[in-house]
Amino acid sequence: MSLPISYSVRNVRARLRRTSLTIAVIALAVIATAVFLALLSSLQRTIVSTGSPDNVVVLRKGSDNDGSSMLTLEAYQAIRYLDGIARDGEGQPLVSPEMVVQPTVRTTSGIRENVLVRGIEPMAFAVHDQVRIVAGRMFRPSSGEIVLGLGTVGRYEGAELGSIMPFGRGRWRVVGIMDAAGSSFESEIWADARELANDAHRPFPYSGVRLRFAPGADRAALMARIEDDPRYALEAKLETEYYAEQAKSSRSLYFLLVILAVPVGVAAGLGAANTMFAAVQARTVEIGTLRALGFSRATILRAFLLESLGVSMIGFVLGAIGTLLLAAVLGAVMGGIGFAAATFTTNVVTLRVSAGDLMAAFVFAATIGIVGGLLPAWRAASLRPVDALRKA
Amino acid sequence: MKYLPLVFRNLLRNKLRSLLTGGAIGLAMLLVCFFLTMPGGIDRLLSEISSNVRVSVHNKGGVVYDMPYAYVQRVRSIPGVAAVNGEVWFGGAFEEEAMVTFPSFALDPDAVQAMWPDYKIEPIALEKFRRQRDAAIVGRETMKKYGWRIGQQVSLVSTVWPVTLTFRIVGEIPNDRAPHFWIQREYLAQAMQAQDRDLDTVGTIWVRVDDPAMVPSVMARAVEMFRNSPAEVTAETEKSFFASFFGSLQAFVQIILVVTALVALCVLCIAANTASMAVRERSREIAVLRAIGFSRGVIFGTLVAESMVLATVAGGTGALLTYGFSALIRMLAGGSMGSNELGPLTGFLVTPGIVAQGIGLSIVVGLVAGIAPAWGAARRPVAEILREVF
Repeated sequence: MSLPISYSVRNVRARLRRTSLTIAVIALAVIATAVFLALLSSLQRTIVSTGSPDNVVVLRKGSDNDGSSMLTLEAYQAIRYLDGIARDGEGQPLVSPEMVVQPTVRTTSGIRENVLVRGIEPMAFAVHDQVRIVAGRMFRPSSGEIVLGLGTVGRYEGAELGSIMPFGRGRWRVVGIMDAAGSSFESEIWADARELANDAHRPFPYSGVRLRFAPGADRAALMARIEDDPRYALEAKLETEYYAEQAKSSRSLYFLLVILAVPVGVAAGLGAANTMFAAVQARTVEIGTLRALGFSRATILRAFLLESLGVSMIGFVLGAIGTLLLAAVLGAVMGGIGFAAATFTTNVVTLRVSAGDLMAAFVFAATIGIVGGLLPAWRAASLRPVDALRKA
Repeated sequence: MKYLPLVFRNLLRNKLRSLLTGGAIGLAMLLVCFFLTMPGGIDRLLSEISSNVRVSVHNKGGVVYDMPYAYVQRVRSIPGVAAVNGEVWFGGAFEEEAMVTFPSFALDPDAVQAMWPDYKIEPIALEKFRRQRDAAIVGRETMKKYGWRIGQQVSLVSTVWPVTLTFRIVGEIPNDRAPHFWIQREYLAQAMQAQDRDLDTVGTIWVRVDDPAMVPSVMARAVEMFRNSPAEVTAETEKSFFASFFGSLQAFVQIILVVTALVALCVLCIAANTASMAVRERSREIAVLRAIGFSRGVIFGTLVAESMVLATVAGGTGALLTYGFSALIRMLAGGSMGSNELGPLTGFLVTPGIVAQGIGLSIVVGLVAGIAPAWGAARRPVAEILREVF
């Protein structure tokens, strides 16, 4: 014989006002962990979504990012004519030589951040096909013009379409805004490669090149040819791999997330257990009666567990709503959240709560409910009907 | 005070509940204190590594932009300057392990002691650093991290200059806050010359000023000196210079504070829940106490005191345990936390001030959590309660 679910539901409802504090505890624990998790996954998404599986990053051997790499003109020319590289309509190979510089730029709130400025040639837009100019136009070479990633607009002094932005040695005119589908290119500023190298007094024209595989090309062979050329000491990496490595540096943030989630979860679980113990205590006679009527221990156990789970689920729903609200408020107040990646440059991350974050919060809340309810339910189930009824 | 035994007896009556509540409050308060160590990390690091008489002069565009090497001597000539040392970012990396893991600089070995007397580098090491072209002086943390010994040779590929150089470690910087790898500028210059390239630039010029009162005027003179030159400069105190590296951590710190506030609210709800459960179950007894003549004030006071004692003991214990907890985290994280993007936030150094904040917060939580239920219990007419029960 089993108790209907409505028994548990009614029990929660009967004490809903009294249970509300427990619900609040679980909801707060959910908000705290989910907001943190959302921040991490937003950061991850921004970095990881930057790479394309069809692109290769070529850097100097030993460099882990394009900010600390360099490449000669000869190396670029040699790479251009290798087999297996895609070509555009005019037969030009999709090879984009790039110069990366990280100047210090002042934000509108007066903080200094290192911004990734990527010096490019027009081919860059063919290789990075997720990047599009959405306002204004592309810069003209050698005329002191730049285009801004969406994330930088309004964040830095002068970072507006049509205004002048000072960084490095020069003053640059903003002529366009680019959208990069939420990837970290949106945290960058793009300028003319040659002009940027001059401005930064770089001894080499480029930091690295990005190229696109031709469809059906022997990818491994192409990468091996780039790496094996003894003249240049280069390293070739899939772009997706390159950004996955950059994202790895946020591992310590996950460590912090665990440090946060475990104690908060345990504390909330103890709070839930407390409430359930009180419920069991208050209903000792009722439980005894149920047992005397023939309901089994397993039935009682299940009913109380269900009740605890129900409480934690209400907590989850409220917590999820709270998380979405808080993320919206933080987004509105703080704008893009600046994150210095291991490469020293700032990634502007838009805080967004994903379905995955909420799923994780759901599991978190459910675990709190089940683990917190287990002992009280066990105690309820192991009450001897005789003892329980004697209390009446 | 005479009711204190009553408060304790009440707390011990439902031991399981007190234990669960105490555990929850303690854990959450530990977490609050732990997270509170993070925002202070930046300030502490800055005051530890910075000297108030050291100034950084660098290109206005940021440290990745260089300045002509001749600037070093010109800065030296400014009145009030005791020493200068021009530093070039070497960007050394292991060839096999393509990760830049420590800051490596090429600088002038003769002006190390004059610039960083507070680093307390051994005279013998400094002497060797001056004499041996391939010498390197390495921060203790970096030595430990890679298991290096003095006398060992290390080969690094530069990610900035087209050279790979082998160094011999001749000494260490005996403090945890300078993980640097210092090499001779001359060694790098010669390696460049072998490729027909000149090393004629400098990244940062460190300046030591005689008298702290002279610092502002020295900085102003340096900026003025190179105005309208191809490389205009910024001069700032060492503290402000390092602070600029941590600018983008501020948003993260704000989010940590929001999360901490949520956890603190959690503690409040847990405490309030227990307080209201205790009052509810004891309503009959409270009515009896009132009936035999105990005043409302006593009832209210003992109930609030009960909540405060529980929160303070549990929260205080949690706050104190932060010392052990953060030591444990530091141990678990090992070196992996120090050199990441959160760097200065992850020292997790607990200070008495943070623990005091935790204890203070616990007292407030106990008070706030206890007030509403205690007020309700003290205010209800006795007859009403007794009628309900009998």
